[in-house]
Amino acid sequence: MIFKTFEAKEIELKPKELLKALGQKLKETDYKAKAAAIKEKAAGAAEKLKNLDAKKLVSDFWNGKPHEERRLGDLYIPGTGLYKHREWRGVKDTLYYFNMIWLYNYAHMVTDIMKYGNLPDFIKGTLRYRWMGQTYLTVMHWFDRGMEGMRGPALRGSAWHYRGMTSETIRQFQAMFASDKKLHGGVANDLWKKHIAHNETVSGCIFYPWRDVLDDVPLEMIPYFVTCHVNNHTVLNYIDAAQSIGLPADPCPMCQAEYGIFVLDDYPDYAPIMITSNEACDGSVATSILQDWFLNRPLFAMPQPMRYDDPLVQKHCQKEIEACWKFVEEQMGIPFSWDQYVKYAESFNKLTEFEHEKWDVAANTDYYPINGVAQALYRIYYSQDGDRPIWHEVDKHVRKIMENSVEKKINSFPKTRHRVIAWSCAPLYYSNWCTWAYNCWGLNCVINMDSLMFDQMLRTDTYEHALEDLAWFNEKAPMRAMAVGGHEHIFQLWEYMERFNCDMVVMYDQLQCKGMQGIHGMFEDEFRKRNIHAIWVPHALPDKRTVSRREIRQIINDYMTTVMHEEPLDPTLVDFEDGDSW
Amino acid sequence: MRDLKHIIEFEQLLEEANNDLVRQAKAEGKRALGYTCYFMPEVLLDLPGCFSVRLRAPRSTSPDMATYYMSNRTCMYGRCLLERALEGGFNFLDAQMATETCTVTCRFQEHLQMMDIIQNPDFFCEFTDVPFKKNENSIEHFMGQLEAHVLKPLREHFGIDTSDAAMLKAIEEHNEVCRLINEIGSYRKLDIPTITGREFQIVQLVSLTCPKYLIIDKLREILADLKKRKPDKKPAWRCKVVLAGSEDDDPDFTKLIEECGALVVADRHCYGSMPGREEIVVKEGESPLHAIAAHYLNTSECPRFMEQHTMRERKEKLAQTVKEYKADGIIIEQMKFCEYWSYERTIDTIILPRDYGIPVCSIEKEYVNNAIGQLRTRFQAFVESIEIKRLAARNQEENTPEKQEDMA
Repeated sequence: MIFKTFEAKEIELKPKELLKALGQKLKETDYKAKAAAIKEKAAGAAEKLKNLDAKKLVSDFWNGKPHEERRLGDLYIPGTGLYKHREWRGVKDTLYYFNMIWLYNYAHMVTDIMKYGNLPDFIKGTLRYRWMGQTYLTVMHWFDRGMEGMRGPALRGSAWHYRGMTSETIRQFQAMFASDKKLHGGVANDLWKKHIAHNETVSGCIFYPWRDVLDDVPLEMIPYFVTCHVNNHTVLNYIDAAQSIGLPADPCPMCQAEYGIFVLDDYPDYAPIMITSNEACDGSVATSILQDWFLNRPLFAMPQPMRYDDPLVQKHCQKEIEACWKFVEEQMGIPFSWDQYVKYAESFNKLTEFEHEKWDVAANTDYYPINGVAQALYRIYYSQDGDRPIWHEVDKHVRKIMENSVEKKINSFPKTRHRVIAWSCAPLYYSNWCTWAYNCWGLNCVINMDSLMFDQMLRTDTYEHALEDLAWFNEKAPMRAMAVGGHEHIFQLWEYMERFNCDMVVMYDQLQCKGMQGIHGMFEDEFRKRNIHAIWVPHALPDKRTVSRREIRQIINDYMTTVMHEEPLDPTLVDFEDGDSW
Repeated sequence: MRDLKHIIEFEQLLEEANNDLVRQAKAEGKRALGYTCYFMPEVLLDLPGCFSVRLRAPRSTSPDMATYYMSNRTCMYGRCLLERALEGGFNFLDAQMATETCTVTCRFQEHLQMMDIIQNPDFFCEFTDVPFKKNENSIEHFMGQLEAHVLKPLREHFGIDTSDAAMLKAIEEHNEVCRLINEIGSYRKLDIPTITGREFQIVQLVSLTCPKYLIIDKLREILADLKKRKPDKKPAWRCKVVLAGSEDDDPDFTKLIEECGALVVADRHCYGSMPGREEIVVKEGESPLHAIAAHYLNTSECPRFMEQHTMRERKEKLAQTVKEYKADGIIIEQMKFCEYWSYERTIDTIILPRDYGIPVCSIEKEYVNNAIGQLRTRFQAFVESIEIKRLAARNQEENTPEKQEDMA
């Protein structure tokens, strides 16, 4: 008999010989030995069953495994950092995660598209802009990374923060797409004429007087800053583009990425005017200047003084804000509305009030239900963005969770070995390091530097008070307040350590931040003098190629083993590769 | 050309921050006031009873101690200054009049403020906030800052007379130095200049780092000497360039450029004379302090100015300088890790050839110039490229139909 394969190869089959060989094999088989082996296995299984702690099994199923037994690292597909499947957190939390986080957010990612704009613009934007196309579907993995190992109130509270950020991001990019000349045949539609573009470092509070008639959208917030957290591969292209036209590799990579978006013409053209700022560093100022050449439209630079402790700088700062308002009035043809300012400033104050309550719980109790990454990202996002309905909605949910947590004394981070304060500017491609650090080492990042910025209530009783507070508010913007602008602010670290009862510092070492690099040695001296455990975590803001996530983990691992002499809570998390993951 | 009068003496003065003239002025009871940036008006530090010293760290090598404090990822100028301070090289300073302008020099000065580095019991360090715009709001703000952080401390610490009359006198003396330096510099505008870029830089640096009242006669003599100075019959240079960019207080760097065949005819950088040596004009009814504040903001060409028109005017001004000094191109230098100039250099390198047709050689350098070999190659190639362009233009001109008809 001849058998023909797909490749037309002919194989001769000999059925008789095959049957003969099979009979021989059957004859030679030792059935007794096989039976004994099966018996032995059955006995082993029976023994196991006998020793099985059914109660624990049920408990693990119902509540999820205890921290030390979770082996979260086994969930990753080796070499990728992607999940084989999500973890079992117990019945209640797994169901919550599936329904209220995964399903709820996926559903809202669809409905928000319709709520804040329309589907055709969304599709056009996704296809036109690299940062959009590469990040939208990776959002849920960003949730997974941030919520890994979280249970109970921490899972719920942190997820609400993420939900708020996702919703506001959709609102912003839909606003940009709906008015984007590039998506509408180069034509300036009516919406284009009703938008104000500004640097992501200009606070949204500046535009409250026009919030009812105009929409202010930060230009780089979504294209660069948010997308980088969600998918860290996206931004690399822009950094390379900036360097491709001659920019050296050493300036702040955040500024480089912002600039690269312009080099590659990957920014939406959604507004007739632009407001820039000097927050916070030389690179930021220089980037604004470069962007001006690309944007080529009326631009108002609204610098704020760097040495803002000096009472003499306040008037100057206030006048710059007023000049900015005048510029908006003149360019957009819409008068300044005091009533609108008051309305939004007072509404925003409620967010600040709640933030203070959160800090109080975080500082003085073990019942704070927000993890480090949710705290850091949410706070910087909403305080930079200004008052929006979604932040109030989130705060309402979080308040309920937090009050319940405090009332019932639920410690969401029971394996805390050290209360950590994270200082200086964080690695954007690994903002969830604190989730890992808690799961692996019990390092609970209670608060971070960026969260403590914009700490200013906005008075609205008189115009003068309003202007005074708004100036202070802007002066206390993230980088200006700490990374540069006078060493006094950076060294407030010691006060905050005491206030938040922290015993350890994770000192972000942004390798290209001249302000922080320029004061490196003094921090070393102070840490030694004060006998403080500080882990220096080098990174390059959005550029994961300089120091990878794995290297960051290794640095923390090394400190925890060689200096602190501690054992990991979850050894499977000590070392794994996730360079290819989002 | 024969040596310029006083040039060797001036060169020696630049080998040390605490040089002979600084020591002489200190011995005469005057207060030495350090500063790093053009935004600190030197005219105020030259009020009667004190003198300005713009800080340099000549003969620096590896700033190891400063690198511990500021890491090796910051501008080497700032680190070399800190190293020199840690070595005791700035102990002669009575005060550091600091500015919040570029990050690394700001950090250097904060080290002086926080650590007990300067071994002088009178020493203090005071910061002035410098605005980012040139409008009236900024001038008023700057005036307030200068009054509070320069004049007041000088009065209180050293009893310096900071009255309008004293300021007017300081302005007059300052303007005299500026006039002399400008006149000396004007010889660079000649078709065949009678002063080299390096010589001029030495003169300019001495005027920044030594007490002015001790050099003014020497400047006059240099000017008199220049009036008689004859150029070489066959000049060594092959083209003329404008040197623009960030901090540069190293005459040897200019020498390196000139050795490659490019005569430096204009110095538009942090320690240069443009801006730097414009006379201060006090209008009728204007307070001297207002005039000073306005002058230093309005004349500055620093890339930290953010207004739209200012950024565009900077390019225009640079292009005009090339024309005025009959230069063939621009060398734009940037101190490694200087963020302002890394961006400004990038955009200059694109805009100036594209919009103004000016050849640009764009380089990064360190404060301690180690990479001489590579830089020499770059400069030589730039000079050659200018020569090739010149030849091509001449050939094109000769081949026009009119010329060919004439030849026929």
